[in-house]
Amino acid sequence: MSPYKYVGKPIPRADVDKVFGDAIFSFDVTLPGMLYAKLVGATQAHAKIKHIDYSKALQVPGVVAVFTGAEFPQKIGIYAADRDVLAREKVLYYGHPIAAVVAESLEAAENAAELIEVEYEPLPAVFDVKDALKPDAPILHERLAEYKHASFIYPEPGTNIATRVKLRKGDVEEGFAKADVIVEDTYREPLVSQAYLENWVGVARVKSDGTVEIWSSHQSPFAVRELLAASLGLPIGKVIVYHLYTGGGFGGKAGILLEHIPVLLSMKLGGRPVRLELNREENFHYMAQRAGYIFEMKTAATKDGKLIAHQGRYLLDAGAYADYTVNVARSVTFMAFGPYEIPNIHIDTCAVYTNKVPTTAFRGFGLMELFFASEQQIDQLAEKLGMDPVEFRLKNALIPGKSITPTQRRLREDAGAPADTIRRTAELIGWDKPLEKPKEPWKRRGRGIAAFWKGPVQPSSAAASAVVKLNEDGSVDLLVGTGEMGQGTVSALRQIVAEELGIEPEKVRVSPIRSTNLVPYTWQTVGSRGLYSDGQALMRALEDLKSQIRKVAAQIFKVFEDEIEIKDGKAYVKGKPWDSVTLAEIALGYMFPDGETIHGPLIGRGSHVPVQTTFLDPETGAGEPKPFITFGAGAVEVEVDLLNMQVKVIRAATVYDTPVINPGLAYGQVYGGLVMGMGLALTEQLVFDDHGRLLNPNLTDYKVFRAGDIPKEIKAEFLGVGQRNAPYGAKGIGELTMLAWPAAIINAIYDAIGVRVKETPATPDKLLKEIREQKPELLEEVRKQLLG
Amino acid sequence: MSVLVFRTTLPRFEYLRPKSLGEALELKAKYGGDAMILAGGTDLLVDIRMRAKKPKYVIDIKGVKELSELKYVEGRGLEIGSAVTLSEIERSKVVKEKFHVLWDAVRQLADFPLRTRATLAGNIANASPASDSAPALLVLGAEVELSSTRGTRKLPIKKFFKWVKQTYMEPDEMITRIFVPEPPRDSKGMYLKFTRISVEDLSVVGIAGLAANPKEPEKRIVRLAYASVAPTPVLVEEVEEIFKHDKPVKELIREAVEAVKKKTSPITDVRGTAEYRRHLIEFGTAYLLNRLLEVIE
Amino acid sequence: MKKISITLTVNGQKKTVEVTPNERLIDVLRYRLDLRSVKAGCLKGECGSCLVLMNGKPVKSCLILAAEADGSEITTVEGLGSLNKPALIQKAFIEAFGYQCGFCTSGFILLGHWILENMPDASEEEIKEILNGILCRCTGYKQIIEAIKLAQKWKRERK
Ligand SMILES: Cc1cc2nc3c(=O)[nH]c(=O)nc-3n(C[C@H](O)[C@H](O)[C@H](O)COP(=O)(O)OP(=O)(O)OC[C@H]3O[C@@H](n4cnc5c(N)ncnc54)[C@H](O)[C@@H]3O)c2cc1C
Ligand code: FES
Ligand code: FES
Repeated sequence: MSPYKYVGKPIPRADVDKVFGDAIFSFDVTLPGMLYAKLVGATQAHAKIKHIDYSKALQVPGVVAVFTGAEFPQKIGIYAADRDVLAREKVLYYGHPIAAVVAESLEAAENAAELIEVEYEPLPAVFDVKDALKPDAPILHERLAEYKHASFIYPEPGTNIATRVKLRKGDVEEGFAKADVIVEDTYREPLVSQAYLENWVGVARVKSDGTVEIWSSHQSPFAVRELLAASLGLPIGKVIVYHLYTGGGFGGKAGILLEHIPVLLSMKLGGRPVRLELNREENFHYMAQRAGYIFEMKTAATKDGKLIAHQGRYLLDAGAYADYTVNVARSVTFMAFGPYEIPNIHIDTCAVYTNKVPTTAFRGFGLMELFFASEQQIDQLAEKLGMDPVEFRLKNALIPGKSITPTQRRLREDAGAPADTIRRTAELIGWDKPLEKPKEPWKRRGRGIAAFWKGPVQPSSAAASAVVKLNEDGSVDLLVGTGEMGQGTVSALRQIVAEELGIEPEKVRVSPIRSTNLVPYTWQTVGSRGLYSDGQALMRALEDLKSQIRKVAAQIFKVFEDEIEIKDGKAYVKGKPWDSVTLAEIALGYMFPDGETIHGPLIGRGSHVPVQTTFLDPETGAGEPKPFITFGAGAVEVEVDLLNMQVKVIRAATVYDTPVINPGLAYGQVYGGLVMGMGLALTEQLVFDDHGRLLNPNLTDYKVFRAGDIPKEIKAEFLGVGQRNAPYGAKGIGELTMLAWPAAIINAIYDAIGVRVKETPATPDKLLKEIREQKPELLEEVRKQLLG
Repeated sequence: MSVLVFRTTLPRFEYLRPKSLGEALELKAKYGGDAMILAGGTDLLVDIRMRAKKPKYVIDIKGVKELSELKYVEGRGLEIGSAVTLSEIERSKVVKEKFHVLWDAVRQLADFPLRTRATLAGNIANASPASDSAPALLVLGAEVELSSTRGTRKLPIKKFFKWVKQTYMEPDEMITRIFVPEPPRDSKGMYLKFTRISVEDLSVVGIAGLAANPKEPEKRIVRLAYASVAPTPVLVEEVEEIFKHDKPVKELIREAVEAVKKKTSPITDVRGTAEYRRHLIEFGTAYLLNRLLEVIE
Repeated sequence: MKKISITLTVNGQKKTVEVTPNERLIDVLRYRLDLRSVKAGCLKGECGSCLVLMNGKPVKSCLILAAEADGSEITTVEGLGSLNKPALIQKAFIEAFGYQCGFCTSGFILLGHWILENMPDASEEEIKEILNGILCRCTGYKQIIEAIKLAQKWKRERK
C-alpha cells in the first residue's frame, strides 16, 4: 500500500473531458475563413520529375492555388535536414508528396488533385538495405554533404548512409578467443507503423505581424516550435504552437511532422488559415513510419555461463528520409544488447536510405527491435550451455553500483533492480511449473522470457520546467509543456501537486490546451522522460511555491519559516494545526487586519536539466547517455496451433523495478504496450511490392489486434525500487511496457515447437515456412491425425 | 493517373430512394450500369471513396418494403430479401437451427456494428472472392433472384459469380431475394474461417461444409465450398460424389482433399502466401470433414 | 447534385439539415452539427472512431450517407451524460481507466452503453465479441473491458 495520500493511488485521470465528448483534438480545429490543402503523391519510387501540369486543377471551382516543390527550397529534419517540403527534382519513394492543392473546400481540393499530371523519368530504385550499401547502388541523396546535421550524426556523402555509429568496449577478439560457446545469427524486422488512431492534422495561419500559429497533432510542442523556426528561418518568438489532445503518438509524432506545409501554404496565401488533414491512407504514405532492421550478432559465453563478448552489425532501413531514425541508430548501439554485463563489445551500426516511406521513432526507440534479436541470442546461448534461460539471464544481469555498461560507465548504485525483475517475472508466469496440454493434439504450449532496460536517448541538455499558480479558491493551475497523447503524464503530475500541497487532485487543473507562448519549456514528450524530467521540474516548482507559502505564513504567525507546516491545503505552525491559514487565503498574498498586504500572488517555478549525462565519444561510445534506466522483464505462455499456424498469447507476466505514481495509469501502459508488442511480434508489417508500392496502407491489411485477441491472464508488478533524484523515485515506463514481447513470444514459440522465427512478424504463413524448413515432421504428425 | 490521390470526401453522385420495387427497377432500367444499388453500403461507400466504383446514381433500397422480408416456409426453405441485414439473419432462430452453416458464416462476417447495416445480397453482389456468405450459400444450393423491368429470373448461386468482383447480373438487374432450399434432414453445417487475427478480418481461406447421414454411404451428402482460394467463391462438386462411395471415412477424406486441391488455385497477396493457403485448404478441409463426419469432436 | 433536406433526432433534439448526396453521416454530425466526439480514423469501416447509435443500434457513421439517415435517431456520447450528470458507463470508464488518448473512446463508450442497455448480463467473452468491431491502439482493451464490467456490476447493484 502506498504510504501517501494520493501518490501511488489510482486517482482518476485529469482528462475526464474525453469521456463526455468535450475534449478537443487538433482534428477538431477549424478556423473562420479556413482553406483546405490536399497533398498529391508520386507514383514512382525513384524518378526525376520532368514536368508537373496542374493547369486543369487550377480550373476547378474553389481552387485557390497549386504548389510544387520548386516553390519551397527549405529543408526539414530534426537531426539532419534531409527532407524536402514537397519533392524537388526527384521523387524518393512511392507516395512522395509532389504537389499541394489549396481550395475553399476539401472536396474541391480533392477533385482538383485528381487532375494533376506528372511526367517522370524513372531512376533505378533500391529497396533493400544491403543493396543500398553496395558501391554501385543508386544514391537517394546526392547532396548529402550539404545537409545541415547535428554534431553526433555522421552521414557519409556519396553513399546512402544517413549515419554510422560505433561502440567499442574491451577487446572482442580476445573475448571470442576465451569463449566456450558462440552463437552467430541474423534477425530481421520489417518497416511497421505506429498506427495511432488520430491521423496527422495541422491548421496554420500567419498573423499580419508575421506571427505563425499552428494547431497540430504532435507529441512535443516545443520541438515543433524549434524545428519550424529553424527550418523556415523564423525567430522562435514568432512561432506559437498549440498542443491539444493528441490521439496517440507512439513516437510517430515525436518531432516536427508536416507542420511546415500548412504554415508555408498560409504564408503564400496572405496568412489565411490552412488545414491539412491526412486520412488513413495518406497517413501511411506521408507520415514517417518505423524503420526496418537487420541485426547481425555474434555473442559468446564461457562454460560457467558468463557472457564474454558480443559483436554486432546493426542496419536500419531508414526509408527516404531518416528523421529520428538516425538517433534510434545511436539508441540501439549504446544499449548494445540486453541488461547484462558483457566485458567486450564491438558494434557498428548504419542507418541507410532506401526508396521507401520515411521513418522515425516508435515506442521503445529501437530497443524492442534490438531485444528481439539479443534475447534470442541469450536463449540460444543458454541452450548451447544446457542452462535454464532464466538462470542464464540472472547470472549475467547488470548489478547496480558494480557493473560497467556498454558505454563504459559504472551503473549507478540506485539504478534499479535488473535481476529482481527477471526473477519475479519467472515466478509470475510459473516458469518451473509443467505446461498444460491442450486437448487438440495439434496445439502446443510453450513459455518464453525476455529482459530489458531503457532510458531516454536525449541530449545532455534536455531541459524541463514547470509553473504552479495558486488561485484564490485554493485551487492550483499546473503549467507544463509536456504533451498529452494518452500516456497520462499530466495526470500523474497533478497527483504530485495534490500530494505536496495536501489538496484534492480535482483542485489541480492542467489546461488541455498548452501553447508554447503560455506554458514553460520542456524539450520533448518522448523517451518515457515526461514524468521523470517534468516531474523533477515540478518538484522544484512546488518547493518554490511552498517556500513562499512558508514565508507568508511565518509573517502571519510571527515565527521562523522552518516552523511552518503545509498540510491539507493549510499552513500552520508545527504542532498547532488548529490555528491555520488556508492556501485560498494567501493565494494572492495576505492582508493583515489593518489592510497592509504582503507578498502578492503565490507562484512557484522550477527547472530541470539532467545531471551527469555527457556527450559520447564518437569512436567508442564512451560516456553517460541516460539520466535514468528502468529495468524489467516480460514472459508469456503461448499456444501454437499447427493446423492454422496461429500463435495465441495465453498469459503474460511482466515486472518493472520502478515505483509508480498512479497504478491505474501504469497498468494502462502495461496492457497497451503488451497488445502493441504482440501485434509487432505476430501480425504488423508494411508490405511493399517490387516497385516499392505499399500494399497495405489501411487498417484492413495493416492488422492491429482487437479485444478478442488479448491474453486471458495478464500479471504485472512494480517493485518500487526508486531512483534517488526521481520524483517519488519514479522512472519512466511508457515505452518499456512494449520491449519484452516480440522476443518473449518468439522464444515461447521455440519452446513450444522447437522452431525459431528470426524475423517479425511471425505470421501464420511465415511460421508454416519455418516449420517446413526446420521441423517438417511436425506437419506430418498433424497430417496423420487428420488424414489417417 | 500519374499521381496518387487518396480521397477523404466522396466524389459526387445522385442519391435516389425508391419507395417500391417497381420504382427501383425503373431506375435501374433507366440508368443501367451508371446506377448502383446501395444496400448496407459497407462495400459500396468504401469503393466509391477509393474510386474503385464511380456510380452516377446510387439507389438506396432500404426503403423498399418488398425487399425487407426474411421468411421461412417449412419444406420450401428460406427467402431473404435483399435489404435484410446480416444482424437480422444472425438473430433468426430458424437460420441458426436449420441453416447452421449460413448462420455460422454470417456471425463471423465483419463485425457486430457492421452487420447491423450490411446485407447478404450485398455480400453476394459484391462478388469478392473473400465473401464469407458465398461458400455457405453454395453448399446450401441457394438461388439468387434477379429482377429487372424485363422480368425475374432465378440463378443458382454456383452460376452467379463470373470473376473477381464480377457477376452474371445484367446492368439493369438487381438481386431481389435469395432463396435457400431446405437443407437435407439432420444435416450439420459449419463455416471455418481462417484469419490473420482471431477476429474481424477478411478470410485468408474460408471453408463451408455441409454433411448429412455421415454413417450411411448411399444416403450420405457432403458438400464443401471455399472463399479466397480462387477468383470466385467455389463449390467443389466432386466432393459430394466422392462421399457416396462406401469406403473407410479417412480414405474418403483423403480423396476429397485431393479433389479440392485440384479445384482451387490460391494466390499470394497481403493476407497470405499461396503456400499457406494450400496448407489451409488441405488441413482445414481435413479438419472440417473430421468434425462434420463426427470423427473428432 | 441535388441538395436533400434531412431530419435527424440527435441526442433527443430534432435537427433539419440540407445535405448533398455525397455527404456522410459522420460529415454531418461533425461539421454541421458540431458533434466532434464523432471521429474519423479510417473512413473504411475498420476502426469505429466514428461509431454512433442509430435508432438504438451501433453503426459506423463513415459508411452511411447522410441522406440514408433521414428520419433516424442518433445518439453520440454528448447525449449520454455530462461531467455533472455522467451516465453510468461514463463514470465506469473514468473509474476503471478505460481510455488513454481518447480518440477511440466515444465508440467504446457507446458500445458499452449499448451492452448495458441490451445485454446487461453479457459475459466477458460476449463483451469482447462486441468490442471486436472497433480499434483502440492505446489501452490494450483490458481496462475498457473492466470498465464495462464495472458498469454492469453497478447496474446490477442498483436494481
Ligand atoms: C470493416 C469491414 C469488414 C468486412 N469484413 C468482411 C468479412 O469478414 N467477410 C465478408 O465477406 N465481407 C466483409 N466485408 C465486406 C462487406 O461488409 C460485405 O460484403 C457486406 O455483406 C456487403 O453488404 P452491403 O449491404 O453493405 O453491400 P453494399 O455496400 O450496399 O453493396 C455492395 C455491392 O453490391 C451491390 N449491391 C448491393 N445490393 C445489391 C442488390 N440487391 N442487387 C444488385 N447489386 C447490389 C452494390 O451496388 C455494391 O456494388 C467487410 C467490410 C468492411 C468495411
Ligand atoms: S472512421 Fe469509420 S470506422 Fe474508421
Ligand atoms: S485510447 Fe487511444 S486509441 Fe483508444
